Amino acid sequence: MSLSEVLLETSGVVVRFGGNTAVSDVGIDVRAGAVTGLIGPNGAGKTTLYNCITGMQRPNAGRIVFDGRDITRLSPGARARMGMARTFQRLELFLSLSVRDNVRVAGDIVRANTRRRVDVEAETDRVLELTGLTDIAHLDVSDIPTGRARVVEVARALMTQPRLLLLDEPASGQTEQETELFAQLLQGLADDGLAVCLVEHDLPLVMRLCSRIHVLDHGVLIASGTPAEVQASPAVVEAYIGAEVVA
Amino acid sequence: MTLFMTFTVLGLVLGAVYAIAASGLVLTYNTSGIFNFAHGAQAMIGAFLYYQLQAVWGVPTIVSVALMLLVVGPLMGFLLHRFVMGGLRDTAEVTKIVVTVAILLGFVALSQWAWDPQEARMSKMFFGADSYVTVRGVTIRYHEIICLLAAAGIAVGLRLLFTRSRMGVLMRATVDDPDLLRLNGHDPERVAGLAWALGSTLAVLAGILITPVAGGALEANALTLLVIDAFAAALFGRLRSIPRTFVGAMVLGLTSTYLVAYAPSEWTWVTNLRDALPMIVLFVVLLVLPQDRLRGAAVRTRERYEVPTVRRAAVWAVVMVVATVAFRQLIDDSSVGTLILGLSFAIIALSLTVLTGYAGELNLAPVSFGAIATIVAFHSGISGTGLAARMNLVGLVAGVLAAAVTGALVALPALRLRGLYLALATLAFGGFVSSMVLRETQTRSWFGHDFAIFPNGNLIVSPLAVGPLDFADQNTFLYSAAAVFAVLGVGVVALRNSGYGRRLAAMKDSPAAAAMLGQRLVRLKLSVFMVSTAIAGLGGIFMSMALTSVTSEHFVYVLSLSLVMLTVVGGIGYVSGALFGGLLAGGGFTLVVGTFNELSIEHPVHAETFGILSHSFLVMTALVGIGVAQNPSGNFFEIFHGQRTLARAPEVRYTALAVTVLLYLLAYAEVIGTWTFGILVVVLWQALPALGRALRPDRLLSQDELAARAATPLELLGVDTPYPDRLGERLDRELGLPARHRQVTPVQSVVIAADHSSRPEEGVRHVTV
Repeated sequence: MSLSEVLLETSGVVVRFGGNTAVSDVGIDVRAGAVTGLIGPNGAGKTTLYNCITGMQRPNAGRIVFDGRDITRLSPGARARMGMARTFQRLELFLSLSVRDNVRVAGDIVRANTRRRVDVEAETDRVLELTGLTDIAHLDVSDIPTGRARVVEVARALMTQPRLLLLDEPASGQTEQETELFAQLLQGLADDGLAVCLVEHDLPLVMRLCSRIHVLDHGVLIASGTPAEVQASPAVVEAYIGAEVVA
Repeated sequence: MTLFMTFTVLGLVLGAVYAIAASGLVLTYNTSGIFNFAHGAQAMIGAFLYYQLQAVWGVPTIVSVALMLLVVGPLMGFLLHRFVMGGLRDTAEVTKIVVTVAILLGFVALSQWAWDPQEARMSKMFFGADSYVTVRGVTIRYHEIICLLAAAGIAVGLRLLFTRSRMGVLMRATVDDPDLLRLNGHDPERVAGLAWALGSTLAVLAGILITPVAGGALEANALTLLVIDAFAAALFGRLRSIPRTFVGAMVLGLTSTYLVAYAPSEWTWVTNLRDALPMIVLFVVLLVLPQDRLRGAAVRTRERYEVPTVRRAAVWAVVMVVATVAFRQLIDDSSVGTLILGLSFAIIALSLTVLTGYAGELNLAPVSFGAIATIVAFHSGISGTGLAARMNLVGLVAGVLAAAVTGALVALPALRLRGLYLALATLAFGGFVSSMVLRETQTRSWFGHDFAIFPNGNLIVSPLAVGPLDFADQNTFLYSAAAVFAVLGVGVVALRNSGYGRRLAAMKDSPAAAAMLGQRLVRLKLSVFMVSTAIAGLGGIFMSMALTSVTSEHFVYVLSLSLVMLTVVGGIGYVSGALFGGLLAGGGFTLVVGTFNELSIEHPVHAETFGILSHSFLVMTALVGIGVAQNPSGNFFEIFHGQRTLARAPEVRYTALAVTVLLYLLAYAEVIGTWTFGILVVVLWQALPALGRALRPDRLLSQDELAARAATPLELLGVDTPYPDRLGERLDRELGLPARHRQVTPVQSVVIAADHSSRPEEGVRHVTV
């Protein structure tokens, strides 16, 4: 699995907000057919890095390469059409549509962009089934609990048949049972060749799913490696628990 | 050189007044997040009140000014904030804009009520026009010096307020995060209220200062528009920066006066250009504004629209055409024209259903697109002469296409930006059409062709003739208009139910998420804007044919604004909302005001009462528009919601239908009048949900409501309290009841909870011991 192709690579990414450097010289990679973790304490710059990768934030410096192509200056839409999809930490659901239509509209968008005769209906049913949303498909999306709403965002992203899936805290708000199902779903997707990047605070989940983990702290990449390597890294322990305790 | 200096001074003075007006706008926008389209109307009211105090009642100038700036201005702002703007939290941008538009219309109606527009009034300069100083041959009036000083003072004052004072910092914080401000022990409402008071005062000051500079005539519509010109200046500062707003205002003022001073005299259109200049500048600024960053911003607003199926829409379309035919039998021939006009406006309003209801964008000048369509149809599609002249299909299609293409041109610069900017672009377009296009009444050479765009300021638009359909016959026209609306209505619903419609909804709800799924936002917005303006163009041509002869008066901005407002009142997400808005804007006003006029002629003793009623009707309409803040989904949402509850008691509906038919027959036999029929039918159907509940409580009320109605025995009061499931489970456990019972409990609770429309886990049961 470690030999699998690198689909996304950032190098030297810097983002400054005024005098505050949110992301500083960060280089990470995400590989196809595996789940890559991106962790770090609150305010470490994870979401900002996501925004750079997806084009919602233009970095002050650095390059983002997706599938061998420099995409640093492409619009979010263009990146999505290249096969990138994401979910949002603060849910961005289409609140006037039902759960089913939230998923279906992603297929509508793909169909309008590619002019391919995709069977949106059948694909919607398949994705709803896969993500376990069939039972609530008819509900108004504002009436479902947060944990399931996060799955709706994943289902919506899957409708675009992405090659890279960026998840921003997908397990927060999920019950233990939901998280278990969700972990299985992600593992299945990765096994099918999808590149999954996971920003998540549920560390047991991250350690279990990810083959590689990048750790950010105060905008700086402090460790990259397998779960075991990362857990052994003093810098990571310090960032999470604090220097005094270690000493 | 003297000429140059003179015009420089004039330009700076105009710029100074624009700056005062624009800074008030920026202030309120930045503290409440509401772009105040009524800012110009507030200035207008201020100018009128000052005139009343100073010129009519003879209050000394200094006292009048003090009263206006220290009492009237702040009070107006405070009241607006307290009773209107404060209620606009958690509403969509469209709702916010429409509420301020309603205030604008209300102020215009009020001013025309209080000050008869037929009477000429002149506002004088401070110290009169004859008090001036001469500097190197350049005459500067005292009034002009006051304008410049006031602007300079305000510039410095606002700068200090925002950077140095605690209140200024709080004002800036209010927009960024009112909740955080509240947590820090401040009251964001109080801060926003103060900002509104200050903003209104600046509007009033601008109104008082600008009227004499602009010639002195007090005319409600013109004055309102004059301060709307300041919008362009505010955009210079991207609605945020006060210094840049001042620079923009000066550039605007100077360009405007230099244009008049130095344009060659054979350019007869230059005065028109000067009038249109702020709107053109506004447009150019939109072109150069940087693109907004895509942010996640999906928040649940209070608007709710339900989407009917195409089948249901088709049924209602048939009902609507049948009702039109039936209603036609009740009214006399002279009223048919009004009804056609109403339906034409309803078609224009349908363009808003698509654009605003489905895509969340706003067009504040739909009628101006109708004007473009009319002009193109007039030039390309009239065949025959005199009474035999007819519009052909080519003209109709050309007009509709022209409206769509114009729509694309207008929308393009604003599409990269937020919804507010598209609204401003359309407003600018409306201003441009009124001051440039519709004033092109003379024949002039266009690329070698002699041609008048709007010949003699009056177009005779002949009725359409297609195959056997000849709109010269009023009945044919009426039924065709109804059929066109019905077909378009079904088409619009079908559009919403298609993949395209879902993409529109996605874009409206969360542009960020839609873009991240690969949606090209600009392309989608452009296409929907073109569809929308095409529909507006069609409606515009119908409107012009209904009027037969149209002048620039028929395309004024107030009309567009009224239509937008009334459609939102009806419910902008619904085809029925468009019908309501269109009928009222196109026919209802004429009809009601006309009826009151007739009544006052018939009963001269009560003429004054009828006059008051007629005026208050106009003001009331604006109040209803302001009421959108309370009910942002529009009236039809409530009505549909109410009617749907009747589904369990169809006999109530059938009875109401029978009563309606009976009333119709009575009206047809002229036992009751048409007005009586109309009012009774509306009241009947409005009250039906309530009537149904009173008559058939067993069918229409839920278990809980019935239980609440049934009197609880006194000794059980207090025992009959809801308690959560887990208490029930504990009870079962302790009483040793079988597990089966326990398993059933959650299911029961779900069923009951569904009635409470709350979550299963929060389900509660009522248990009467």
